[in-house]
Amino acid sequence: MPELKLESINKFYSAVHAVKDVSLDVPAGEFVVLVGPSGCGKSTLLRAIAGLEDISDGEITLGDRSISRLAPRDRNIAMVFQSYALYPFLNVFENIAFGLRARKMSQPDIDKQVKWAAELLDINDYLERFPRELSGGQRQRVAIGRAIVRDADLYLFDEPLSNLDAKLRDGMREEIKRLHGQLGKTFIYVTHDQIEAMTLAERIILLRDGMIEQAGPPLDLFERPKNTYVAGFLGSPPMNFIDVTVRDETLILPDNQTLKINRNGKSGLAAGEQKYVWGVRPEHFSQSSKKTGSLRASLEVIQPTGSRSYGTFYLEGNHVLAELEAHIGEQNTREVTLEVAIERTVFFDKSTGEAIT
Amino acid sequence: MIRWDRGWRLGIRVACAAIVALLFVFPIYWLAAISIKTPEEIYAFPPVWIPSEIHFSSYVTLFRDGDAWSVWNSLITAGVSTVLAMVIGTIAAYSIVRFRTGGDHLAIWIISQRMIPPICVAFPIFLLYVSWQLVDTYLGLILLYTAFNVPYVTWMMRGYIQEIPLELEQSALVDGLTRWAVLRRVVMPMARAGLFATAVFTFIFAWNDFLFALILTKSEVVTYTVKVTGYFGSQSTFWSKIGAMSMLGVLPMIIVVGTMQRFIVRGMSMGAVKG
Amino acid sequence: MSSSLSSTINDQRVFKYLLIAPAVFIILLIGLYPLIKLVVGSFQNISMFDNDLSYQGFVNYARLFGDERLWESLLHTVAFTAVALPIELVLGYLLALLFLEKLPFKQTFVAIILLPTVISPIVAGSTWRLMFDQRFGPINQVIGWLAGGDVKLLWTVDPMLVWPAILVAEVWQWTPFMFLLLLAALSNVDKEQLEAAQIDGASWFMTFRRIVLPAIMPVMFIAVLIRALDLFRVFDVIWTMTQGGPGTFTETISIYAYQMAFREFEISYSSAIAFLVIIILTVAVIWALRRVELAR
Repeated sequence: MPELKLESINKFYSAVHAVKDVSLDVPAGEFVVLVGPSGCGKSTLLRAIAGLEDISDGEITLGDRSISRLAPRDRNIAMVFQSYALYPFLNVFENIAFGLRARKMSQPDIDKQVKWAAELLDINDYLERFPRELSGGQRQRVAIGRAIVRDADLYLFDEPLSNLDAKLRDGMREEIKRLHGQLGKTFIYVTHDQIEAMTLAERIILLRDGMIEQAGPPLDLFERPKNTYVAGFLGSPPMNFIDVTVRDETLILPDNQTLKINRNGKSGLAAGEQKYVWGVRPEHFSQSSKKTGSLRASLEVIQPTGSRSYGTFYLEGNHVLAELEAHIGEQNTREVTLEVAIERTVFFDKSTGEAIT
Repeated sequence: MIRWDRGWRLGIRVACAAIVALLFVFPIYWLAAISIKTPEEIYAFPPVWIPSEIHFSSYVTLFRDGDAWSVWNSLITAGVSTVLAMVIGTIAAYSIVRFRTGGDHLAIWIISQRMIPPICVAFPIFLLYVSWQLVDTYLGLILLYTAFNVPYVTWMMRGYIQEIPLELEQSALVDGLTRWAVLRRVVMPMARAGLFATAVFTFIFAWNDFLFALILTKSEVVTYTVKVTGYFGSQSTFWSKIGAMSMLGVLPMIIVVGTMQRFIVRGMSMGAVKG
Repeated sequence: MSSSLSSTINDQRVFKYLLIAPAVFIILLIGLYPLIKLVVGSFQNISMFDNDLSYQGFVNYARLFGDERLWESLLHTVAFTAVALPIELVLGYLLALLFLEKLPFKQTFVAIILLPTVISPIVAGSTWRLMFDQRFGPINQVIGWLAGGDVKLLWTVDPMLVWPAILVAEVWQWTPFMFLLLLAALSNVDKEQLEAAQIDGASWFMTFRRIVLPAIMPVMFIAVLIRALDLFRVFDVIWTMTQGGPGTFTETISIYAYQMAFREFEISYSSAIAFLVIIILTVAVIWALRRVELAR
């Protein structure tokens, strides 16, 4: 199974520069997720790999063959579409078999392959049915079946779960990850949903305005975001950004409360006094009984989720969300003392938004 | 399988499209050219493709001889029958859609009326008109075109009215409007585009009719289509008159395709393709 | 309160019939009454010379079987439909493919191509009669250029050429209709399905047969049905170009029925012919609709 290489891919739609000089190596067997907001170029990039979209400039190679000028059918790829794109006039079996028939596979082999895929996806019981007789989740399985039944070099997924309701989506996510483990093939998956990206990917490629903003394993991006954009995109609820001043060993919050910080882990922080954007994730807060080294907050809104509760407070106009213990709302006071895991928080340059390391 | 260069492909497609358009428009160009040629150019051999000058004498002759009256007849009969068919057909469609009058069968029966070839009912209608003394009258032709187009209007407007959300009408009823006021002040404005498109097609059908006009007129209300065929004589053919009269018949259609392309698909497919 | 409600419901009942009454009335008057008249007339024996209103049973229907001119005109009609329809369909489809993707000036091109379809068949027939004129028409001139020399083909007179000439006029006028409907149908084919087929490696033919054709089938069926019904009653174009001539060589069923009724005043017999046509059409349409329902 070959490796996929993208070299300086550019795509223009008349005046719009949709993909800007993107280079990317995907080793065989990796599960890569392209993620970003709508219009970031992720779908265009995927469609360019599939050959459904011509690239304006650059080179795509799969193993030792250049595929950038090949028609989709000659690239030996499989793809799952957002709308599933099931053929409405063929039943489930024929839908899955379609690509095999197109490649002139013999009937016994087709039977064997389809049976294998159907078992893997647990859709054996409705091979005779037509797409319109299936639920959304079942259609999704058929669409995936149609892709995996083929022995392709590359499996592409274009927002495959975005038409499913939340509960089904959780189940299918797990299923896709399990499939990747069983097949050991290269998966390239496009989504705008950061949870899908985090949970599925071995490597996340975060795109913004047609460029790669940051690439790496999910937890790397989550814990060591390159800038406020990446930090804000990943994580739900999102990271809090608070305007702070750092003076020597002291962190001064907008309402002039202070916290002690240890500069050892934050060597990038300037000496003396400097203003920063401080990135704190909701889970970096915890309720504390200590009077020193903590910050006092007055919770304005409490949203229980069952396992945890989210409390909102304000620091001179900075809206802050903290993840707290579930029963926090039952205390007789809204005044709480919070401890912050400062070593896990991130400081960003106030003007550029770049992370300080 | 290397793909063709985009620019080349587009160039070839544009060229093909232009050639096709040229082939389709050429006969009409030829007609227009004849209508503005001098007699010498019309009867020139070999044929003249581009008239040296524009002469309106053919048109002037039509008006001077009173032949152009037939265009007026077409306009009156097609126009008045369109208004009548639209009113009758639209309220019938509303009744069918909102009150399910006659269930599904009535709508099917009404549209099936249109499948019958005109020639099949032509003679009984002729006899009927003779006994009612409606032959060669405006009323006769208008009545016939109206009757002929009511099924089409009903069928088309049924489709358009079905697309109006019921909630709008219900909210108007709750606000205290009468049924009739709902029809006039909610349904009609909402179906405006459909009314317009359907009216244009209704007009076209009547405007283009030949058979009924041939059978049911003699001299007073002869339409332009009947007049055109009359110019083909066994001895001599009046080319300039054919050209000019036909062009008068074509001109409104040029405006139609130029301005309402987006309605044409639906109108021509009897509402089967929403376009 | 309840009384006002019930009066509303009564109002509504009157209202709905009031709305539909004019339509039903006028269709009964101009549609159904002539039809009944037709059936009744077909069992009498009225002609120019004979005003006898007594019922003659199936005399006229019996006469149908021996009427060679009738069967020939029917054959002309069916053959013409069978030739013109596939040509219009295929040409319309090819045109639709040409205009399916983005194209500069697309709207203008489409408007120009549509023009023949909305003009009167009388004008179309006249135009082509002028085009086909043996001496002053451009067709013979162009053929002359290709053949190198003067050509004097008698398009509207020569038995070998009349049908092709009529066919050209008919195809010119109605291919745009097929084109427009198929273009609409093709534009509605799911793009992702086509892309999926591309990636699945389907050939052009497989994509067409398995995805495109089933998707455009309903529209294609409607287009073919509308056109077939029109072609079966074709009258105007042939009337202007040949009046059914030379002899009865281009006589279709509509033209024959017209001749019988309005030239020969064979009133009862022409009623029988008309009734036969209606029966043929009804059977054909019902058969076609059944087949479609079965296919679904």
